[in-house]
Amino acid sequence: MENLHGTNAAPAREAAGAAGQPPRERFQLEPGETLLAACRFDLNAELGFTDGWLVLTDKRLLADAPASADEAPARRTEGGVWEWPLDATTQLDVRMRNAIGRIELAKRGDVIARWLFTAARAKGVHALEDAFDERLHGERAARQEKPQLREEAPEQEAAAVPSAKAGDEEAAPGAGGASWQALGRLVSFARPHAGMAFLGGLLTLAGTAAALVPPYLTMPLVDQVLIPRQNGANVPFSLVWWYLAGLALAAFAAWLLSWARSWVLAWVSERVAADLRVRTYAHMQNLSLDFFSGKRTGDLITRVGSDTDRINMFLSVNLIEFSSNVMLVLLTAAVLVWMNPTLAIVTLAPFPFVLWLAYAVRYRLRRGFARASVAWADMTSVLADTIPGIRVVKAFAQERREVGRFRAANDRVLEANDRVNVVWSFFGPLVSLCSEGGILVVWAAGAWLVFGGSVTVGTLTAFLTYISRFYGRVESMIHMVPATQRAAASAQRIFEILDCKPSVAEAGRPVDPGRVRGRIVISGVHFRYGSREILHGIDLTIEPGEMIGLVGASGSGKSTLANLVCRFYDPSSGSITIDGTDLRQLSIPDYRRNLGCVLQEPFLFFGTIAENIAYGLPDAPRDKIVAAARAAGAHDFILRLPAAYDSRVGERGGSLSGGERQRLSIARALLVDPRILILDEATSSVDPETEAIIQSAIDRLVAGRTTIAIAHRLSTLRRADRLVVLDAGRIVEIGTHDELLAADGAYARLYNAQMKAAEEAAAGV
Amino acid sequence: MAAAENPTIEWRLERRPHGRLDFIDAQGRVHTDVDVLRAFPISDPEGPVAIVGENDVELAWIDALAAVEPALRAALEAELSRREFLPLVERIEEVSDSEPAEWTVETDRGRRRFKVAHADDVLRLPDGGAVITDTYGVRYTIQSISCLDARSRRFFEKAQ
Repeated sequence: MENLHGTNAAPAREAAGAAGQPPRERFQLEPGETLLAACRFDLNAELGFTDGWLVLTDKRLLADAPASADEAPARRTEGGVWEWPLDATTQLDVRMRNAIGRIELAKRGDVIARWLFTAARAKGVHALEDAFDERLHGERAARQEKPQLREEAPEQEAAAVPSAKAGDEEAAPGAGGASWQALGRLVSFARPHAGMAFLGGLLTLAGTAAALVPPYLTMPLVDQVLIPRQNGANVPFSLVWWYLAGLALAAFAAWLLSWARSWVLAWVSERVAADLRVRTYAHMQNLSLDFFSGKRTGDLITRVGSDTDRINMFLSVNLIEFSSNVMLVLLTAAVLVWMNPTLAIVTLAPFPFVLWLAYAVRYRLRRGFARASVAWADMTSVLADTIPGIRVVKAFAQERREVGRFRAANDRVLEANDRVNVVWSFFGPLVSLCSEGGILVVWAAGAWLVFGGSVTVGTLTAFLTYISRFYGRVESMIHMVPATQRAAASAQRIFEILDCKPSVAEAGRPVDPGRVRGRIVISGVHFRYGSREILHGIDLTIEPGEMIGLVGASGSGKSTLANLVCRFYDPSSGSITIDGTDLRQLSIPDYRRNLGCVLQEPFLFFGTIAENIAYGLPDAPRDKIVAAARAAGAHDFILRLPAAYDSRVGERGGSLSGGERQRLSIARALLVDPRILILDEATSSVDPETEAIIQSAIDRLVAGRTTIAIAHRLSTLRRADRLVVLDAGRIVEIGTHDELLAADGAYARLYNAQMKAAEEAAAGV
Repeated sequence: MAAAENPTIEWRLERRPHGRLDFIDAQGRVHTDVDVLRAFPISDPEGPVAIVGENDVELAWIDALAAVEPALRAALEAELSRREFLPLVERIEEVSDSEPAEWTVETDRGRRRFKVAHADDVLRLPDGGAVITDTYGVRYTIQSISCLDARSRRFFEKAQ
């Protein structure tokens, strides 16, 4: 028997790793047999977790024990797996029911075996299903795609693994040493300001050294001036002045240096944070739509806003203080050892214990802060949800509930902070206690040594001054542990965004399409979103300047098809070409310059009417803006606004009606003069009378452009050259309005139902 | 009765009693009580002007006032200044810290208190002036911020 893995594509598949490979010892191919696809399933008949394989070849289906099966048509191979020979009467049916999917193998319509799997395996299972259909039922383009799929099936399985991992990471932010790594990555943002950062480091060192001078001066002041004087020696008072002047000078220098240092380092950190903010936002803008559909607005705003600010605070305040503290602690220790090694060792004895404490408490704090951060993002999300949806809230009189929801989120923040505070409030005073203990030890040891005569009172005084500073700094270092952990958690949340790759990626060598003619060829396009298959093999050619009306029930895949043409998503398989070039090879921004979109819910940005119309072409001259508004039928109502074209509109359109906003969005599309136009339910949110006005604006917009129009109301598609009727992700009919009515199919049923409803409505009035 | 005719454009305006303005189009049809409106009153006040009749129907469009022959231009400008209520702020007495902010100003038309809903309603213009829109949509203009006294300037900066 020939080994399954022995032949052609072995190196590529090896690279996919164990996750993408059916075990060789059990799944073995006969000579001349080719592997088409393989996938894993993960549930048994009792819905317990299991791990099994389904392997499709051009002759057989091989599998581990199914959830249920008729014994008769199946055989067991030498490897101990089940096998079913395939012919034209065998069928494979995959269906998802919520989180659980089932695969059914049928012969002449009777189910003979059944496997169950969770959504986690759906991608691989669907790939196998596709391969099955192409193998046995010869769907179009099968020959072309077969070799590609063979490669893809195992790879897709493998690809599912890292994405699941990424999800896990998100579930436990701040775990492990990753937080320090995240802080370390901030260094790369400081690189452009390396000169200033270095200067800041020097100033820190100098400032710290200056701060160490005064206690050192007290030693001779006590030993050579004060004590001899007390013992009756004749010491002139002028010496005291000299020492005092020295102390004052050192204090002044320390102040000046730390002032310069704070300013320089704050300057650097402000720039680091600003770069980080812009970089994060710019990266987010480049991410695909599915990134945004999976994230909550509040969470993203928190990341770009508060998290970067927290890092800025950390860098400009805490890090400076921390580094100067570390330096001071080290230098003080050095000075102490130099002055008197014995006393120094006694003095520093409690220090390791304090360090250990800090280390021990760090983990608890980090967990606590990560929780607090998540709770804070949740609270922001409540705001970001309800403020744009305030009309719905009020309409359903749910203010109380929303306040309750906010209060609950706020309580979670409170609770998370309380937990941290419990640890913290216990820990802080404990460190104080240790430092008090340290001073006590110095007094005791110092007194004993002074009695023994090995240490002068001056040295002891200097020691005490140093040691109280020493522990003071240690204490404030410890106080910085929470800030560090907080900043680390924030840095990690930001790098999570920066590490996201857009799922609709720019081609390696993108082609600038220039101004396209607008011939769109959609061939064999499948699209899956998560585990749901939305489009099942769409083939459609749209000629330049043609208007296509997409018709079908909700969920039939109309908008998805439009999104694919806009390249908001990429098809799971199959291709879309524009003027003969694959969409995936075109430069995304250059291609989208050829596109105009009018959506159901027109979004207006905060700004003037003129700015909103000129959104796609910010430099458009005024007469062009006015011309676009005229063509869109918006000119007259704009003139009546308090400041005409200079009137400001808010994010939700302010005082404008739905129809007015829609006309503004048509003007916006007209101004960019697109070659390809997408109208997604452009008139469905307005009344019939307004629709008539908008319709004439749309007619002007459509002229000469390749247009894909989606509408529930079939009357709005009268001018379409062809109507394409979609049902459950497949094209069921194509033709003109009259042709389709004559064919008496799905379109005719839809049309008659709408006509009837309209008549009934008219009769009712 | 002041009439203004335009040789290149086949329409004219006629002043009626009570400040009403009639528009006579090329075919001699009379549209009574028309409005003269600036299209970009803030960003380009000298720019396009529209004459709008009943039901918001646009009757005429003038690209720039400067290009129009003087008699018509005078008539249009007279009409515009008659309908445009644009108090000129001379001094800012106070801007409250409350939300919405309450402004007390001295204008060329007298003292006035008004509320401004949002900082975005205080708009700096590229020419150094500013426009403040109150909660009712009344616009107050400042010719030049740098020409205000120091106290007024401080209030203005604060309000932005």
